Amino acid sequence: MPAAIPTEGEPARDPADAPSDGVVVRALGISKSFDGAPALDGVDLELRKGEVHALLGENGAGKTTLSNILAGIYRADAGAVVVDGEERHFRSPAHAIESGIGMVHQHFRLVETATVAENLHLGWQDTPRWISRKKLADRTRRQMGQMGLRVDPNAFIWQLSVGEQQRVEILRVLSRGARVLILDEPTAVLTEQEARDLFGVIRALVAEGRTVVFISHKLNEVLEVSDRITVLRDGHRVVTRETAGATPRELARLMTGEAREVSVEGHREPGRQPLLEVVDVTARGSRGLVSVRGVTLTVHAGEILGLAGVSGNGQTELAEVVTGMRRIDAGRVRVDGVDLTNASPRRFADAGVGAIPEDRIGVGLVPSAPVRSNAVLRHYRRSELSGGLALRRVAISEFATRLVASARVQTRSIDSPVSYLSGGNQQRLLVGREGMLAGRVFVASHPTRGLDVNATADVRASLLAKRDAGSGVLLISDDLDEVLQLSDRVAVMYEGSVLGEFDRSAADRERIGLLMGGHLEADQPEPAPS
Amino acid sequence: MISVRAPGRSPAIRVERRLQVASRRAAASRIIGLLAGLLVAGIAIQISGRPTLSLAREALDATFGRRIGLEETGIIATPILLDAIAVAIGLRMRIWNIGVEGQFYMGAWAATGIGIHLHAPAPVLLTLMALAGVAGGALWILIPAIARAYWNVNEIITTLLLNFVALQWVAWFSIDVWRDTKAAVVQATPPVAARLPLLGNSLILHVGFLIPLLLAPVFWWVFRSSRWGYEVDMIGGNPRAAEFAGINVPRRIISVMLLSGAIGGLSGMIHVTGATGRLQATISNSYGLSGFIVAALAGASFFGLLAGGLFIALLLHSGIVLQGQGLSVYIVLAVYGLVLVGIAVGTQAARYRLRVSRESVVSPAAERAPP
Repeated sequence: MPAAIPTEGEPARDPADAPSDGVVVRALGISKSFDGAPALDGVDLELRKGEVHALLGENGAGKTTLSNILAGIYRADAGAVVVDGEERHFRSPAHAIESGIGMVHQHFRLVETATVAENLHLGWQDTPRWISRKKLADRTRRQMGQMGLRVDPNAFIWQLSVGEQQRVEILRVLSRGARVLILDEPTAVLTEQEARDLFGVIRALVAEGRTVVFISHKLNEVLEVSDRITVLRDGHRVVTRETAGATPRELARLMTGEAREVSVEGHREPGRQPLLEVVDVTARGSRGLVSVRGVTLTVHAGEILGLAGVSGNGQTELAEVVTGMRRIDAGRVRVDGVDLTNASPRRFADAGVGAIPEDRIGVGLVPSAPVRSNAVLRHYRRSELSGGLALRRVAISEFATRLVASARVQTRSIDSPVSYLSGGNQQRLLVGREGMLAGRVFVASHPTRGLDVNATADVRASLLAKRDAGSGVLLISDDLDEVLQLSDRVAVMYEGSVLGEFDRSAADRERIGLLMGGHLEADQPEPAPS
Repeated sequence: MISVRAPGRSPAIRVERRLQVASRRAAASRIIGLLAGLLVAGIAIQISGRPTLSLAREALDATFGRRIGLEETGIIATPILLDAIAVAIGLRMRIWNIGVEGQFYMGAWAATGIGIHLHAPAPVLLTLMALAGVAGGALWILIPAIARAYWNVNEIITTLLLNFVALQWVAWFSIDVWRDTKAAVVQATPPVAARLPLLGNSLILHVGFLIPLLLAPVFWWVFRSSRWGYEVDMIGGNPRAAEFAGINVPRRIISVMLLSGAIGGLSGMIHVTGATGRLQATISNSYGLSGFIVAALAGASFFGLLAGGLFIALLLHSGIVLQGQGLSVYIVLAVYGLVLVGIAVGTQAARYRLRVSRESVVSPAAERAPP
């Protein structure tokens, strides 16, 4: 067992009212892998009484996995969690909260059709077996008074704003005696004002001696609210340091790592002909909040425009807008000069727009249906594949067989359901099918996420081939290495807006990292002329 | 995966889910389940002090031993098969039309309305009655269809509730509005003016029996080879992907539900013109419910439901015979239920296999190095 955690900075500031060194929770050498893929590798973390400790890192860095282990949701493969000097093995979230560690998840776990008071008391040992509705509300008000968090106890969850729902979640955890409160991406779903309010709550909590773990990828928020910062990257702890004196630039560099080798395979001068034009587009997400704000982008023939950014900053919605899957409130979308604003998915497809949806299984494919049916899903109306009424079954079989061969899909037969294929082969099928549509524009959302090395290489080769054939490719990815490796130009999306656009030659990894964290700098370079 | 294993290092029996289920294995598993259901029912009847084997022989004899027994079974099978086809069409799109019973009633009602009020040559009148039956069934599902397509209102609830309305509606017309005042029967309308012809030289079985036997292969083809069927299947598999593919999902939902309702209505018309000859308050012997069960157990396979529907009709006919022999209706229903449960369990069991593993079982906690 490692003896001490190497940290930068000074010891706890208020050793008087803290046990020994003020450390409440210590995680030592935590490792965890999923299906053989390591998510955490020997990570140490110490949490002190009365601090806001930020966990910073890109998607997949291991922030949520580490928190889930602390909160008793996952069990670590190796390593130990020490609370108040005693080693604990949490069997469940309820077990973790007995030791004073509670977590508020990014996606709330509330019963929408029950009231605030009912949710607060659900599954709580202290809840009386028989209690009137009024007394339940009174108990809830009392808890709220102690914590300084106020919501109408008799309101139903579905009636509350997201910020209020979050307050109920926090209250739920605190009322069960949590001394360490883990907030997983708490501001991701909040409006600006709600985030302000949340910061006030966090400050009040630490003032009374609790510890808050604040998980985020937003640099400004972390710098504003935290006392110390631990940066994770690829399942490793990069550093733990005091927030005071940290600069966004430094944190961005720690988060994204040093630039890896960028290969310039087959890169050529992009054309000037605009194939996809997004002009001042504003659109709302599924929750009704504005998630794309006045975005203007142009993808030219023979180029890949990489759209970098942390997931959930409006990229998903933008991809849906340019494939006809989401209506927009304002702005225009043109494909090769033809106005397709709010056109149907079919018209986008007919105009030569192919798309690899972010949610392959949920949107791109019909998992229960055979490869044959999926292969023609976006092509079956073509006259060689179907007459007016009937499908041409022989032609469809030939089409599917050809697609499987050219896209290198490994499947036992074209009659196997797509759900039997591996993730890589599902994506090969999808990329092959959409590539055939993408005569003008190819929209690829997180095209290699979760794929193995070979499938990743195949998918990237398909994108480059499309570009070389003269299509415009919009590559949306939260993998900065991928964006830098493939793109001719790079744009960064943050909170629904495009913050910067660079030619690849001018694309500076550190600056992009800053923009992904929402940090605009005065010395920002001029956007690339487009 | 469900594991049933002893602690320590003993061999363990594990229940594993199969990735693929061969259709022959699935069919065999269903038949085994069916036989197991019959066996349990037989043992229960024997224990209750009745001679199971002789009862079974009587039931089989009454069905297969006499020509009229088979024809009666065919008359029962006709609405069950048609309703099963109606439900199966919806199930291809994951639409659960529980209201096929109500559509049967409304189809029967609309056809009767034409049949007792219009005077025309039989072929013309039968055609008009068929159209009325189709329209009655389709109209009865129109509101659930629109609500489902555009506001995503659960069709299970809406179609189920409309069953009760249809039942009362038909009861009202049978015993009041259209009641046959000349006849002694109290709860029925006058006879309809045209009847379906008998099948060949049969005694009571009408040509309507052929309709489901013709429709099932037609719909098998539609879902195998037509564009419409392909689109419906894709919506059933993943509505978001279907939308991505440019399919107008709400419009397909409405067309599928109206078609399902129309076939339900047609089954009512055929039953009135083929079997009963007049509308009664209790014209359906829960045919819609049986059809629904058949379609669900057949997994919306159009040939599977033919086999299942004929079998259920045999079972119901045997039940009627045995009730004639003094067996309580509750016992008959219990046998019916046990057989259906057996088939359902068999369907699920085909997806799993038992496996004895001898690998050592070590808990993750024991592997962890002590602190």
